[in-house]
Formats: sequence, structure tokens, C-alpha cells
Amino acid sequence: MHVSPLSWIALTCAIVAAVIMIYYLIYRPPLNGRVKLLMMVAVGVLPIMTAMIGNLEGLQATEHQAFCGSCHTMDMHIADANDPDSLSLSAIHSRTIKFGDKSCYVCHKDYGMFGYAMTKLGGMGHVYMFLSEYAWYDMEEALPKIHIARPFKNDNCMQCHSTTGRLWNDVADHNGLLEDLRTGTTSCASAGCHGYAHPFSKPDEETPSDAEAHSALPAPSPEGT
Amino acid sequence: MNPRAKVERFLDNASRSRLMVYACVLGLIGLVLMSWSLFDQGWIPVMMAMSVGQGIGTLSFALFLVIVIIDLRKAEFRPSITPTPPKPEDD
Repeated sequence: MHVSPLSWIALTCAIVAAVIMIYYLIYRPPLNGRVKLLMMVAVGVLPIMTAMIGNLEGLQATEHQAFCGSCHTMDMHIADANDPDSLSLSAIHSRTIKFGDKSCYVCHKDYGMFGYAMTKLGGMGHVYMFLSEYAWYDMEEALPKIHIARPFKNDNCMQCHSTTGRLWNDVADHNGLLEDLRTGTTSCASAGCHGYAHPFSKPDEETPSDAEAHSALPAPSPEGT
Repeated sequence: MNPRAKVERFLDNASRSRLMVYACVLGLIGLVLMSWSLFDQGWIPVMMAMSVGQGIGTLSFALFLVIVIIDLRKAEFRPSITPTPPKPEDD
């Protein structure tokens, strides 16, 4: 458990506020000007600081794998992403420092001006689906039913793999499908190309062989692609 | 009785100390929920802190503001500068 310095500040505010409120509840001093000023600090100023820091920390927490993995239905996704022997797209990317502990968020977030807000709205949809349906399933029941809400956008891949680099264009399939890839008609994360990001979750669908997955491995650096 | 009259009647009769007790109890509950998410960053604590915890905290602060409004309604405002007596007119 990592607690940041900001969290300690928030906790200190909360403790001070709680001590003042408990003092009031026990001794019930008359509400004169001085007591009201003190209670404004205890009921208003300090809790607002706690809430603001809590929001900041909470929103940052939502970017981490631990948050995504706190729903049991994501156990296998997280385990696969962190499996050093896995050759799935999620595992390959999670091993790089630019994704790492935030690999779920970096791949699945929406980009653009309202990307952050739209990602959070999408997350609320996930919470609704989890509470209304998936929370009651065990992993075996849930896995065949879980699917991505919208097709995965190639734009997300193209944040790093710009499709303009020489190394990337030297691959014949990339060159032949350039427009389809840029417009999203052909998905990078499909069975015929680099395979599904979470192949274990598609038991009934075609998955790439290990040889194909290995052939997708040499991705020297996003800058070169 | 219309809603405005109901509110005014409430403000005239409400006990300030009781309202402050409610504010403190709600504030403590809100603080516990908000602090929980600082240590456990799973989806339940984070969402509870950012929705229920902050909602309860806001309610607590709103009760405090009600106390302030009650006090303001009962306060007798006196001008801070006493009016100067009119000067006798110059001849």
C-alpha cells in the first residue's frame, strides 16, 4: 500500500476536523462567534481540503491496474498483462515503462480534448454493468460474456505507432493496409494481424498462433514505428 | 402553507445546537468515507469517497450554513458609523 504525501496532508486535515467535531459532540460549547469560527474550519475548510485531495488521489488511482483489477471479473486480464511469459498484446505493452502499472488506462482511455471526461463516463458505465450483472458471476461465467463496449480504436495504437515510420512501413502488411489501418476498417488487434489484446478471453474465436505472436514481438521502439 | 413559509418557520424554530450535532455526525461519517479511499484504492472506496462521502460532507456543511443563516436572521444590525448631526446652516 503506497500512501502519497498529499494523502497524509488530507488525512491530517481529516483527523484535525474529526477531533474538533468530537470535542463539540462531547462538550457542546455554546455557539458563540469563536466556536462557530472553529466549527466552520472543522465542518467546512478541512473536509473540503480532504475532499479535494481525495478527488485528486482518487482520479489518479483510477489510472492504475490495481483499480481496474479490483473487480474480480478483471482478475484474468490483470494476471495475463503481468505474466512475464505471456505474448499477448496487453502483456507485451505492460512490460514497457510507458505503460507499466497504467497499461489498462493507457490503452483504453479516450484521447482528445474531452478524452479524460469521456473515459471516466465510460468507467461509470462499467461500474453500472458490474453492479447490475457481472458482480454476481464467477470468472468462468463472466469471461464469455465480457466484451469491449465499442470496437478498440486503432487511434489508440497510433498514439505511439504513428504509421509514418520507416520500420513500420517496411512491413508489407502495414503498407498494403495503410488506409484501412488509419481509418480503423482493419483492427491492429485482430486475429489476422497482431492478435487480440486479451486472447484468453476469446476462447471461441480464432487466435494467432504462438509463431504469429512471436513475429509481432520485434517492436523496437514506438518512435521508430 | 407554502414552501417559503415552511422554510421560514423551520428557521425560526430550529435548534442551532441540534443542527450542529447533526452536522458533526454527518461530517464524521463523510470524513471516514473520504479517508478510506486514501489507503484502499479499489473501486468501492474510491467511488464511495467521491460520491457518498462527499455528498454527506456537503450536507454537513449545508447544515452549518443553515445555522449561520439562522443567526443572521436573528441578528440586530446596527450601523457601525453613527450618523453625524446635521450642521447648522451657514448664515
